[in-house]
Amino acid sequence: MRKKSILAALSLSLATSVVATSVASAADLRMSWWGGDGRHVATQKALDYCTTKTGHKVKAEFAGFEGYLEKLTTQMAGSTEADIIQVDWPWLFQFSKEGEGFADLKQFSGDLDLSQWNDSQLAPAMIEGKLNGVPVSVTGATYYFSDEIYRKAGLELPKSWEDLAAAAKKMNPDGVYPFDSTRVILMLMIEAFAAQISGQEFVKPGTNELAWTAEDIAGALKHYQWMVDNGIVRSAKDAAAVGNVEIFDDPAWVSGRIGGTYFWDSTYSKYDDPLTVGKLVPAAPLKIEGAKSDGVYKKPSMVFAISRHSKDQKAAAQVINCLLNDKDAILILGDSRGLPASAIAKATLEEAGKLTRERLDGAKIVAEATGPVMSPLIEHPSVQEVFKDVIEQFAYGQMTAEEAGEEMIDGLTRALRRL
Amino acid sequence: MSGDSRLLGFWYVLPYLIGLLVFTAIPFLGSLYLSFTDYRLMQGASFIGLENYTDILTRDRTFTRSFNVTMLYVLITVPLKLAFALFIAGVLNSKLKGIGFFRTAYYVPSILGGSIAVAVLWRYMFADTGFINMMLTSIGFEAINWFGNPGTALFTITLLRLWQFGSAMVIFLAALQSIDKSLYEAAAIDGAKPWRAFFAITLPLLTPVIFFNLIMQMVQAFQEFNGPYVITSGGPLKSTYLLPLYIYEMAFKKFDMGYASAIAWVLFAVIMVLTLIAFWSSKHWVYYAGDKRS
Repeated sequence: MRKKSILAALSLSLATSVVATSVASAADLRMSWWGGDGRHVATQKALDYCTTKTGHKVKAEFAGFEGYLEKLTTQMAGSTEADIIQVDWPWLFQFSKEGEGFADLKQFSGDLDLSQWNDSQLAPAMIEGKLNGVPVSVTGATYYFSDEIYRKAGLELPKSWEDLAAAAKKMNPDGVYPFDSTRVILMLMIEAFAAQISGQEFVKPGTNELAWTAEDIAGALKHYQWMVDNGIVRSAKDAAAVGNVEIFDDPAWVSGRIGGTYFWDSTYSKYDDPLTVGKLVPAAPLKIEGAKSDGVYKKPSMVFAISRHSKDQKAAAQVINCLLNDKDAILILGDSRGLPASAIAKATLEEAGKLTRERLDGAKIVAEATGPVMSPLIEHPSVQEVFKDVIEQFAYGQMTAEEAGEEMIDGLTRALRRL
Repeated sequence: MSGDSRLLGFWYVLPYLIGLLVFTAIPFLGSLYLSFTDYRLMQGASFIGLENYTDILTRDRTFTRSFNVTMLYVLITVPLKLAFALFIAGVLNSKLKGIGFFRTAYYVPSILGGSIAVAVLWRYMFADTGFINMMLTSIGFEAINWFGNPGTALFTITLLRLWQFGSAMVIFLAALQSIDKSLYEAAAIDGAKPWRAFFAITLPLLTPVIFFNLIMQMVQAFQEFNGPYVITSGGPLKSTYLLPLYIYEMAFKKFDMGYASAIAWVLFAVIMVLTLIAFWSSKHWVYYAGDKRS
C-alpha cells in the first residue's frame, strides 16, 4: 500500500512538472494602460485573443488618466512597471532622457512588424537613436460642436468666432452656452491662441528657451476674456461651481446645455458618449484675428513601450504586434484608442466600416491644419502648473492680461531652466 | 522566569516592531534625509544642505499661500468641531427613548467621513445644481456658488470635516457620563442654574478630554487631504490648497521628492510646536482628578 502511494505521488509530481514546463515556455506578462470603460473592455478582450494567438498570458492593469502618471512614475522609480506600458508621448522624455528608459523596439523587429509605421510616425518616439515606443494613434486638438444643440437653435455649425458670438446671443437666454472652455481645455486653448498669434511653439525648437513673448500670451488671454464677455463660454467662476470635475462629467455638458468644446480628436468617445442629446461633429480650427497659423497641436496620442526591466521583452513585443497589427485584434480594439497609426490597423478598420464619419473627419481636419511642432516640454507638470495658475488668476480678475503675460513668461522661464 | 519565557513576549511583539521599523521609522528618517537633497524620482540625489528649507521659508509663494490656508482651516475647523461634538454629546447624554439608536446614528459619519465616496457625495451636494442649492432656492434664497468663490470653497471643506464629529463626540459622551451626579445635586441645592453648573462643574471636569480631543483633532486637521483633493482640487485660486495637497503634488506630479520631504518636515515642525504649546498651556486650564487646584 505504502509503495503504491509513493508511486502515485511520484507520477503526480512528474505530471505536474511536465505541465509546469509547458506553461513556462509561454511568458507571464503585465500590461498597464489608462482610459475609459470602452477602452478597458476592448483591450481586455483583445488581450484574451492575443493570449490564444501568442501563448503569452497578460495581466491587465488599467485605470483612468487621473493619477496614472503618478503611479507609473512610482513604478518606474522602483523598477516595478508592467512589461507593456501605455505611455503618453511627452512622458517618454521624462522617463528616457537618453533613450535608455525603455527597451529599444528596433531590437525586436522580427517580432514586431515596424513596417506598419512610416519613419515620420516613428520619429517622435526615437530618442538618441533608440525607438522607445510605437505610436498607437496620432492625435491633434480641434473644435467639436453638438449638431443637435445648434439645430434646435436654428443655427449652422460655427465657422468663426463671430458665428459663436452670434450663437451666444441666441442661446444664452435659454441658459445654453454655444461653447465651453475651462480647466485643462482652457489651458490647451490659450496655448493654441498663443501659437496662432506667434506662429511658433512656446520654446525654440530643440531648446529650453522660451519663444513666446508676454504680448503673445496677453493676446491669447484677451481673446479668452472676449469669449467670456460675449457669453460664448461660462466664466471660470461659474464653471467652477460644479466642483472638481472634467467637462464630460459636468451635468451642463451631459444634459445638452453646452454646444461644443475643444479636445484631442483621439478622446472623441470620452466627450461624445456621455451626451444625452445629439452627437459631436468636428470643425476646422477657429482662428483669432491676426493668426499666423491654425495653432493646431499634433502629437502621437500615446505609444506602447516595453519596460527595460521586463524579463521577456521578446514576448512583450509579440503581444504588442498582436494588438496593433493582427487583423482580429484590431477589429476587437476598434477605435478605442483613436484613429490607429499602424497602416494595417487603419486599413482593416476602414474596410470593416468601424471608423465613424466623425472620427475620420476629425482626423482629416487635424492632418490638414497647420500648427507648431509640439515640444514635449509643454506637457511637463512644472510647465503646466505655471499655465494653470496664471490663467486662473487672470480668469478671476486678479491680474490684467499684460500682467498675466509677464507673470507667465517669468514662471515659464524659471520652470524651463530647472528642466 | 526563565530566559525563554522572558523572550516569549518579545517574539509576540516582533511582527509589530518589524512593521513599525519598515513602514514607519525607516521612511520617517528617510524623508528627513531626503529633505536635505534635491532628489527627484528617476534621477539621483545630491546633498544640498538647507537649500530646500530656505526656499520654502523665503521664496516659495505657493508654500506661503498653502500654509496660510492650512492655518485658517485648522483654526476654524478644530474649535467648531470640538464645540459641536460637545453639544451633541450633551444632547445624547440625556435619558431619551431610543438614545442608543441616536448615539449610533451620530457616529456613522465618522466611519464614512474620510472616504473618497463621501467626498464625491459632498461635491454633488454642494454643486451649483446640487441638493443644498435646491433646498436654498426652494425656500426663496439665491443659489450659492459654493466651489467658485474662494471663501465658500474653504467653508464646504470645513463642513465635511465638521460632519465627522463622531469620534470626538463619543469621547465627550464617555467623559460626561463619568461625572459624579452628586456634584450637580449639590449645585442645584445651592441654587445654581444649569448654565452655571455647566461652566463650574461640567467644563472643568471635561478639560482633560477637551485637551485630548484638541490635540487629536488638530493633528488630523493638519493632515486633511481627501476633501480638497476630490472636491476642489485645491482651487479656486488655491483657496483650499492645504499643505498635504501641496506635498502630494510636489512629490507625485512634479516628482520633486526632496522638496516635498522638506515641506512635510516643516508641517511636522508646525504640528509639533503647536502641540508643545498646547501641552505647556494645559497646566493653566486642564484639571485632573486629585489635582490640588481642583
